[in-house]
Amino acid sequence: MLGYFCCSVPIEFMTVLSLVPYRIMGSVTQAITQADTYLETIMCPFVRSSFDLSLKGEYDFLDGLVVPHTCDAIHRIYDIWVHYRKPAYTHFINVPHVVQPSSFEFFQNELSVFKKSLERFAQREISDQNLCQAIRLHNENRGLLRELYELRKDEPPLISGTEIMKLLVAGGTIPVAEYNELVKGVIKEVKERKTVPAQKRARILIYGSQVDDAAFIRLVEESGANVVMDDICPGTRYFGHDVDVTDNPLVGLSRHYLEDIQCPRTYRAKLGKYQEDLDNRFGYLLDYAKEFRVNGIILYITRYCDTFELDAPDLGDYLREAGLPVLYLENDYSMTTIGQLRTRIQTFLEMLL
Amino acid sequence: MQQPQKKTTATHTLETVRKVRGIVKSNYAQALEAKEQGRPVAYCMVGCGYDEILRAMDITPVWTENYAGLCAAKQDAERFLSEAEAEGYSIDICGYARTGIGFDTLRHELGEIPPGAPDGGMAEPDMLLGCSHRCDPRFKWYQVLGRYNEAPIYAHDVVAPPVDADLKEVTGYYIKYQAEQFRGLIDFLERQVGKKLDYDRLCQIISISRETIRIWQECYLLRRASPCPMPSEDHFSAMVPAYFKLGTEEALNFYTELYAEVKQRADNKIGVVPEEKYRLLWSGGLPPWHSLWIFNYFESKGAVFCMDTTYRPYEPMEVPVKLEDDPISYLAWRSFLHRVRFHERAKAGPRNISVQEILDLVNDYNIDGMVMHATRTCRANTMGQKFLADAVQEYVKIPALILVSDIVDVRDYSEAEWKASVETFIEMVDVHKKSRKG
Repeated sequence: MLGYFCCSVPIEFMTVLSLVPYRIMGSVTQAITQADTYLETIMCPFVRSSFDLSLKGEYDFLDGLVVPHTCDAIHRIYDIWVHYRKPAYTHFINVPHVVQPSSFEFFQNELSVFKKSLERFAQREISDQNLCQAIRLHNENRGLLRELYELRKDEPPLISGTEIMKLLVAGGTIPVAEYNELVKGVIKEVKERKTVPAQKRARILIYGSQVDDAAFIRLVEESGANVVMDDICPGTRYFGHDVDVTDNPLVGLSRHYLEDIQCPRTYRAKLGKYQEDLDNRFGYLLDYAKEFRVNGIILYITRYCDTFELDAPDLGDYLREAGLPVLYLENDYSMTTIGQLRTRIQTFLEMLL
Repeated sequence: MQQPQKKTTATHTLETVRKVRGIVKSNYAQALEAKEQGRPVAYCMVGCGYDEILRAMDITPVWTENYAGLCAAKQDAERFLSEAEAEGYSIDICGYARTGIGFDTLRHELGEIPPGAPDGGMAEPDMLLGCSHRCDPRFKWYQVLGRYNEAPIYAHDVVAPPVDADLKEVTGYYIKYQAEQFRGLIDFLERQVGKKLDYDRLCQIISISRETIRIWQECYLLRRASPCPMPSEDHFSAMVPAYFKLGTEEALNFYTELYAEVKQRADNKIGVVPEEKYRLLWSGGLPPWHSLWIFNYFESKGAVFCMDTTYRPYEPMEVPVKLEDDPISYLAWRSFLHRVRFHERAKAGPRNISVQEILDLVNDYNIDGMVMHATRTCRANTMGQKFLADAVQEYVKIPALILVSDIVDVRDYSEAEWKASVETFIEMVDVHKKSRKG
């Protein structure tokens, strides 16, 4: 079982070698008690929390660690984790920050090096054919999750945001084949369920990064909204697009993991004037809002996350301009301030009436 | 009771360094003049390796991070920070970026450069050259400026392999990618300015910068002398011509003169303080532009910063392509080799290039203690400082101090706390030094 951070690690390489990709998460309910000895408190609280769990032995079951260069905090944790935790297998993937022909070629080479490194670790080779099979298996997972999300379009949604979040969290920790069976089972059950979530006053989309606990989603739903869509790392950011199955599978994988993942850490060349640039960067959220009949968006931004924080004013203005009310919440990856959050969310939802 | 510090800047040791202030002023004046005369001006980021290309294309650079540092040193950043915060930019975002964003917000609102802006302000850019080297805000910042300025953007990607990479396996495609990034930049610049890059001129400019870097490096090797002839507060000024004027005769002449002065001091055993008791290393973090006096405070205790890991020069290196044959590959190699220069030794030792760098400097410069600057909003240069301070101890026992404030925002800083922590640290260094001798 290999631990990994973020959406930028092609987990298909692990699956093909029967290694289980385990998405590293922190804990929004546990206080950070050990990591601050080694990490600055101004570092991303999600990364600090994850490392804290590792120091407490909660990731001792992992056989290795794969870290992509997504952002500064994830980049910096690699050497520190390796130094103090000494996993049996470690690998760092450089992910270009720009989307250009040369960056695809570079990333393809990085993935090739990652593949060889895993082959050495597992002492088995990865054939293109097997890798394509793994891509299809993960695409099935992405497709199933999109199918499940379709059930959120109903009014009221057939499945709550809290239930979805629990599924996403669990899914990141089990083999993809099991995850697929789990999602299939959930789809079947939801379609047949007699009691659906109550219709609330607002249909909310949650935008953020590493939201990996149901507590916040539950808070929003308890405050009087149906959370019907997300753009978060374990959610649509991960499964929004399939990987193209190409003759050389590295081509499809490099395109997907560099271009399809809509994370502000990747710079997308400015197209035309400012407004066109915003459409290019954020237009997909308007599509989501329309498809899922969203009438309010919560930007749930983890503190000290420069890339999300720098995008937030542009994104907020863009959404408001499109007629979507926006609530900006900065959080410490902790539910200790739940009271304050509740008040702000309730006020926002009342405004939507 | 100690009196609060009135003078925020440091008193310099070297005469040559006193010329830097004029160079900084002229940088902004030249950009304003270029703008007035219709010549292209670009917002730029330091350390990206594209300096000579800009010079060769007659594009006047405005180093926006440097401007934020200048505002901090002049204690005139707060109005820009507040402006950015009013626009919705979190107080946790990089202080340099917030200062720059605030400046451009204010310019946009006023329709002119904010009155009284330090050194006349930054010229309005015709293009924005972001860069991924070192941290994320360095390419996000310019994306944000689309709110106020429709100038086209080029984001220059810089990559460095991790220390555990097999350099034989990765070098080829890293070099290729870096070269492609430079070619993409040149293509972008040619379209903006409407003329082709003169490669012969580029080679001439790189030759000047190569010589500049060589002399700069030679100069800093002299700092190994005891007593140390040049302190870090002078370095944080002396680095200006190399970081902001690379490829110019002005920079070359500056380091030639600096070398002569430092050599003369080293030869004659002229130190920074009358009695150099402790030799310190500035081992991480950006300098406290708002409180550079702290270096003089250390010196009042007999402690001199003999070397620094921040804004270190590119070291002269054997680039395996001839400059005149392929200047772009040359630049790609220079960028790559600079970033992997500690890799092989680090791989055999601490597995971390920053730890390796500190170990080398502690040994070469006979260091007694290391000091870092943790800044709330410069996370890229702050994350890992605790780790460095701890990991170094596995190889060499050495006292470490982490000062805490911000790069720009003085609201994060306590003068009294700094003085108290320096006092305690110096006591630790003293004990450490005596125990080493004993």
